[in-house]
Amino acid sequence: MLTAVKNQGKISILSIKYALMKEMLNKTTFLTNVIFMILNNASFIIQWIVLYSIQDNIGGYTFQQVLLLWGVAAGSYGVSHFFFENAYELAETITDGKLDAYIVQPKNILLSAITSKVKTSALGDLLYAYIMCVVVARSFSSILLFTFLIICGGIILTGIAVILGSLSFWFKRADMVAEAGNGWMTNFANYPDGIFKGVVKVLLYTLIPVGIVNYIPVQLLTHFRLSNLGIVVGFASVIILLAFIVFYRGLKRYSSSNLMSMRI
Amino acid sequence: MNVIEVKNLCKTFKVKKKEKGLKGSFRSLWHPKYQKIEAVKNIEFTVEKGEMIAFIGPNGAGKSTTIKMLTGILYPDKGDISILGLDPRKARKKLAYEIGTVFGQKEQLWTHLTPYDNFKFFGAIYDIPEEAVERKIQELSTLFELEEFINTPVRNLSLGQRIRCEIVASLIHDPKILFLDEPTIGLDPVVKENIRALIKRMNKEYKTTIFLTSHDTSDIEKLCKRVVIINHGELVLDDSMENLKYHYLNKKIVEAKMKEKVNLEDEDGITILKDKGYNLKIEVDTSKKSVADALKLLNPDNIIDINISNIPLENIITEIYKKEEDK
Repeated sequence: MLTAVKNQGKISILSIKYALMKEMLNKTTFLTNVIFMILNNASFIIQWIVLYSIQDNIGGYTFQQVLLLWGVAAGSYGVSHFFFENAYELAETITDGKLDAYIVQPKNILLSAITSKVKTSALGDLLYAYIMCVVVARSFSSILLFTFLIICGGIILTGIAVILGSLSFWFKRADMVAEAGNGWMTNFANYPDGIFKGVVKVLLYTLIPVGIVNYIPVQLLTHFRLSNLGIVVGFASVIILLAFIVFYRGLKRYSSSNLMSMRI
Repeated sequence: MNVIEVKNLCKTFKVKKKEKGLKGSFRSLWHPKYQKIEAVKNIEFTVEKGEMIAFIGPNGAGKSTTIKMLTGILYPDKGDISILGLDPRKARKKLAYEIGTVFGQKEQLWTHLTPYDNFKFFGAIYDIPEEAVERKIQELSTLFELEEFINTPVRNLSLGQRIRCEIVASLIHDPKILFLDEPTIGLDPVVKENIRALIKRMNKEYKTTIFLTSHDTSDIEKLCKRVVIINHGELVLDDSMENLKYHYLNKKIVEAKMKEKVNLEDEDGITILKDKGYNLKIEVDTSKKSVADALKLLNPDNIIDINISNIPLENIITEIYKKEEDK
């Protein structure tokens, strides 16, 4: 069992390594993608600087907390899109019959499929996330906690992408649903949760768990509470389990396809 | 010893039936109609260890669906599959260590990597120790003559070179059965011949069982001793190549260059395919008339040159497909 887990880990790392090698074929494109993503994220901070020059507190967040929020959001997004980019293209992978190659291999189909692609710009998100973390929380322990939290957040985002992408086993054009669902997870991520009220707030801690990926980690980084950490870890575990269940249930309905395809 | 056993295998697909045009699209939004397509119906066959079997049929016959069920890609609706004693539904990972697959229409290799790096990756997938992978790569690259381009990125290789690499990647873990789905699709005749020779050599050297689907009759004729034909999801023929030829080759083609014109129009058992005066091409049905009798009718003294040949396998297979269509 332990050897199998070790071997699976080795394959996932190799797969990510090879996918990264592909992205690095063109130095200019690779570096531009990374740098522009950092600049893109940084440009939004200017708007917050302007807002905080007018008032000290927005939605219950100080400027420092907003920086942390951006760090956590970019970090979780970076982890998910860098290591598991193909989770976001799972719907197309299923409908185009591209799972065939992974099914005939003696490894975990889902992990093999989602680690087969990396998104270069997500490296920019990760770098940006750590810049924000270092600027606000300067202690080593905070950086460690931050790392743990963005990994949990990345896992939750990936799990949601897998669940939404797996709908393709049941419905045609589920890629549109997946795109909308994944979009909500990022659209709400960069605003202080105090500005959301009522039903929206409930949704942000349940169906669209932006609160668990972003808001609770920001609270943890400013005021650590074990119960909050438990919520994040627990939620991540449930999402992983759910993602595997939905994917493998759906796999029984997989109909492959005879489209010509290449592994590029 | 049977390495593949298939019993009562069935697979049905539910396909949405859409009416014509935009109006039809709107209508099917609210009242979708589905059609059940029985892709595979009660198929039964066995394959022995070391056999090279051709699994053929026209487009949409159910070949790919069957091969995908045998390799664990698709779940059958009904029936039993046993590959080396394993059920692909229940023991997918175990089975994957024992079989190799090459889908001519779907590449498994990373195109930006060299074949060597790809083979190393596949070695890791099958948990093969580094040294053993190195040895295997060396051995297979010699057998498949890959030395020249083993360090060139796959995207820069020709189609023939890629297919050779695909086959090597599928052999890195010494599979006992190799499933080849249209391995020579899109290749030129020389490369096809080369691939066939390599498959043959591999079967001889490693005793690998080969399960081949192809539309190319030369692939089938030159590689396989047994043919299984499937049409409309049903098994229509399971016979040795020898028997197939013996039963269906009761027709001979006679092409003759004559000194004088001969009239064979009303002769029983003879069909005139081409008559250009002194050049004659006829088909002799040997169940009705022997070739010797046909030659007598032509008069041996009247023949300048003659060529007697079998009907091409392609025509035989087409005839079998057509017979099934007519039923």
